[in-house]
Amino acid sequence: MTTAQGTAPATTADSITLRARLSRMTRRGRGAQEDGGDRGIVSEHERGRGGVRASMGAIHVFLFAGLVVAGLGPLLWLAKAAVTPTQDTLTQPFALWPNGIDWANLEQAWNDIHIDQYFLNTIWVAAGSWFFQLLIATTAGYALSILRPKYAPVLNALVLATLFIPAVVLLVPLYLTILHPPLIDTSLLNTYWAVWLPAAANAFNILLVKRFFDGLPREVFEAARTDGAGPFRVFWSIVLPMSKPILGVVSVFAVIAAWKDFLWPLLVLPDPAVQPLSVRLPAVQSQTELDVFLAALAISTLIPVALFLVFQRLFLRGAGLGGAVKG
Amino acid sequence: MKSSRSIAIAGLTALVVAGSLAACSADAGGDDGKLELRVATFPPGADQAAYDAFAEQEKQFEKANPDIDVVGLEYEWTAPTFAAQLAGGSLPDVFTVPFTDTKTLLENGQLMDVTDELQELGYSDKFNPIILDEVTGGDDRIYGFPRQAYANGLHYNRDLFEQAGLDPDNPPTTWDEVRAAAKTIAEKTGKAGYATMAAGNTGGWQLSVQADSRGASLQQANDDGSYTSTIDNDATKATLEYLHDLRWEDDSMGSTFDLDWGSINQEFAAGNLGMYTSGSDVYTALVRDFGMSPDIYGLTVIPTENGGGVLGGGDIAVMPPTLDDDIKAAAVKWIDWYYMQKLLNEDAAVADAKALSESDQAVGTPVLPVLDKETYLESQEWIAPYVNVPLDQMTGFTEGIFEQTPVGEFKGQTQPIYALMDNLVQAVLTDENADIDALLKQVDVDAQALLDQ
Amino acid sequence: MIERDAAAEALPRHPGPSKPSAAARRRRRTPVTWVRRGGLWNLAFLAPMLVVFGVFSWGPIAQAVVMSFQKTNLITPPVWVGLDNFARVLSDPNLGTAVLNTLYFAGLALVFGFPLPILMAVLMSEVRRGKGLYSALAYLPVVVPPVVAVLLWKVFYNASPDGVFNTVLGWVGIPPQPWLQSSVTAMPSLVIEATWAAAGGSIIIYLAALIAVPPELYDAAEVDGAGIWRKIWHVTLPQLRGILFIMLILQVIGTAQVFLEPYLFTGGGPNNSTLTVLLLIYRYAFQNSLGGDYGEATALSLMLAVFLGLLSWLYFKLTDRWSTN
Repeated sequence: MTTAQGTAPATTADSITLRARLSRMTRRGRGAQEDGGDRGIVSEHERGRGGVRASMGAIHVFLFAGLVVAGLGPLLWLAKAAVTPTQDTLTQPFALWPNGIDWANLEQAWNDIHIDQYFLNTIWVAAGSWFFQLLIATTAGYALSILRPKYAPVLNALVLATLFIPAVVLLVPLYLTILHPPLIDTSLLNTYWAVWLPAAANAFNILLVKRFFDGLPREVFEAARTDGAGPFRVFWSIVLPMSKPILGVVSVFAVIAAWKDFLWPLLVLPDPAVQPLSVRLPAVQSQTELDVFLAALAISTLIPVALFLVFQRLFLRGAGLGGAVKG
Repeated sequence: MKSSRSIAIAGLTALVVAGSLAACSADAGGDDGKLELRVATFPPGADQAAYDAFAEQEKQFEKANPDIDVVGLEYEWTAPTFAAQLAGGSLPDVFTVPFTDTKTLLENGQLMDVTDELQELGYSDKFNPIILDEVTGGDDRIYGFPRQAYANGLHYNRDLFEQAGLDPDNPPTTWDEVRAAAKTIAEKTGKAGYATMAAGNTGGWQLSVQADSRGASLQQANDDGSYTSTIDNDATKATLEYLHDLRWEDDSMGSTFDLDWGSINQEFAAGNLGMYTSGSDVYTALVRDFGMSPDIYGLTVIPTENGGGVLGGGDIAVMPPTLDDDIKAAAVKWIDWYYMQKLLNEDAAVADAKALSESDQAVGTPVLPVLDKETYLESQEWIAPYVNVPLDQMTGFTEGIFEQTPVGEFKGQTQPIYALMDNLVQAVLTDENADIDALLKQVDVDAQALLDQ
Repeated sequence: MIERDAAAEALPRHPGPSKPSAAARRRRRTPVTWVRRGGLWNLAFLAPMLVVFGVFSWGPIAQAVVMSFQKTNLITPPVWVGLDNFARVLSDPNLGTAVLNTLYFAGLALVFGFPLPILMAVLMSEVRRGKGLYSALAYLPVVVPPVVAVLLWKVFYNASPDGVFNTVLGWVGIPPQPWLQSSVTAMPSLVIEATWAAAGGSIIIYLAALIAVPPELYDAAEVDGAGIWRKIWHVTLPQLRGILFIMLILQVIGTAQVFLEPYLFTGGGPNNSTLTVLLLIYRYAFQNSLGGDYGEATALSLMLAVFLGLLSWLYFKLTDRWSTN
């Protein structure tokens, strides 16, 4: 959730890049089709020249070696260290199991650190954030773009204005709001509501969805109304099914942000029983032997990496689209 | 259409239910009209055996008090969450607070007055008066039950001592001997001979321990209730110069200088560290939470010079001031039963020691008596058959501790000033050219500014 | 759905052309006409947003402004203190340190982290085979949860001669470095990790931008006799100017709020050498065991917000111009 934490680049920034990217990518798609082929800086002719060809070969070697070492290297090392006894990791960090493989690390990480429970908590955090972000973004987007009451522009401006407020300003007052929410008499501390609801107050999502709805053909809604469809039915059976692409983008952002968030859940989920992995791992570090801890890190990495490998295309397209959405 | 909407509603309902379940998971409802008492148990991460032992004790207590339903809550005193829990009302009805924060809390009116209950229970005159002072307010009322205390000690690795050709049964008794031993260990074994905590306020804490042992007084309490910072004194300076020399002249402090309570224990338990100072009660955690092999453990007193004393601390069992009379009465019963009786009563002491030793928890870790010395020595007799810690490896401490002058932590802005002092330790350990005089002067000024607020 | 017909009939017609009839406009607006026009439905759809934004965004923003003029610690009732909080923050010796450290982090991040992804993206866009593999490899670090990445790198930075990085340095004859254990090397160590964690995302963005450079421009440059370097200098980089500038501002906005790395790697140490502005805010509010100084924390947040707000505004202006071009 980018709204309530300070770790991510400002929400503002994300939103604008995305908007720019969206418009740019559509243009690019069109352009590429018209031109039929894509060429880069180096022309066909230049590629034929010996010096250039040799350089290209060198670039391949450089890219491959560099990316394997920097991108894959740390993860491979982590995978190795996860099943290596502590002393070997400390004294010979690059030796391949001089004293045998220690599979028990993984089992200990799973059972003693309770990775399974914290993993489940992480899923809860992500699922709820996803649900509420979609709920708010679609209903608000629908009201502001399609129902469009007279006061819509005012609300729209109020929502947009929050994009200019960096998340860090909210840190303290939002925290106090969680301690003493208005109307209800109980603190939201240690409940997932404290993560879900602030995550849902995401102006960027509303902006995205509203702009998408703005572009939908109005005649379809008019026709549905003439057929007697009420606002809810138009929303549920017509607008939402037409909006799958943008809902996909919002979903990817929501889940990734929730998965990565650290500072906010650290503050509002002090009870270990409900903490997600990102909060729990630093907390148990000092009480866990290094090899078991590395095994826990490896398990926590395995799942997102596996997801990435399976949905590579979606991730990379989202990344190109989302700009520098780091948090 | 209808179905799609009902799916949406069903989905929402599921989420709402799940959310409220998550919200309620912390407090299981007292169902049968019993009085529900929410009590602190262990920090998160304690092992199953500790929970089993607690469950057994809970059962015994509920049998004796059938109208009380005890609900154990994971609890750990941590700086960032404590204030929030206090404000958010999510603290247990009975919890523990370290001495360092007690004064501020009781002056803020954040603790329940238990003077009458203590008198009624009839053991208020049995407390060690120095310790009872920790929970007494300016109004001479008592706001909690001191339940355990410790003195700082010098922990050493017998294994590394042997490898370095030193005698583990004759640990160093002066700071110069500590320095020589550290150098020998570093040279002979390649491990860190000596280390000190430096992060998360523990650097300031251990700097006070070591400075006090050289006769420092870091703060002066004035008659008008204000405090004067006296961190900038010769003993503190000597301590920092000592650390600087071990680090830069002898190179006997290893390569990690951002250790805190947890990570220094981890390093020690893993056999990477020759000596460090910490609370005398840390043995339990070293074995239970950090997997130390008991054989390598040695404990002796911290060297004292120039009239220095040994800094101690401890914690008290307290209640929030908001409890109603029924819960307060139940809470007092629980504190008396769970924390106090095992110090006072032979049967309770034996039962407690027996339960702990049966679930492989440490029994007999050296502590400081919260009650008078007589009662303490008597209670040590009671549990002698169940002691399972290697007391013969701790004789340096157990024999020397009563010779030393106990000193309490300074009272004004303790934790924030510890945070300032962290930087002193970090500076001398990570910067060979650190200007100790200038740093000390600055910290003194900053500390005074905190005290004047 | 009972009132479906009425609602459908009363739905506002928009946009623009389908205005209510003159007669309707003359009619007085009453609660009844409001309901008939779907006012309830509008509210029903807006309600979730209004509640969530009101409680968790607009409310707290207003509260932040109020709190910056108050002294409160959650225990005692808040007291108005005027500009005291601002004055105290501005006179805190740690503020200067934190600002300088944050600038230092931002500057180092720019030196390490800005050119590298551009170079990588240009190279990757030119290779014919393996582009997908390279993209995936470059993006892999971004997928690793940031907390895991920092904790893993903390192990890499083990300062003993047998530490992971020190072993590698040993292979090429460089003596072991203290990494996080020295005020001099701590900050660069943080930046290296942050660059590693973020570069993949930037590379993918630059790659997308590079594909969008119109090929005709290269053809035209070649007609003028331009070689590879001149094409890069006169076509590629000017075409990327917009995205480069935006990424620059984004990076400044991001690094001005850096928290995770200093918090988890060093806690701001050694001797405050990695204390950043956000970490200072966190310390004000949440580090003190007996109730933080929330007034000072919000005052400093607001000051940072003004700076970031200006950057965001600049950014908005630029992207707006850029995307309408």
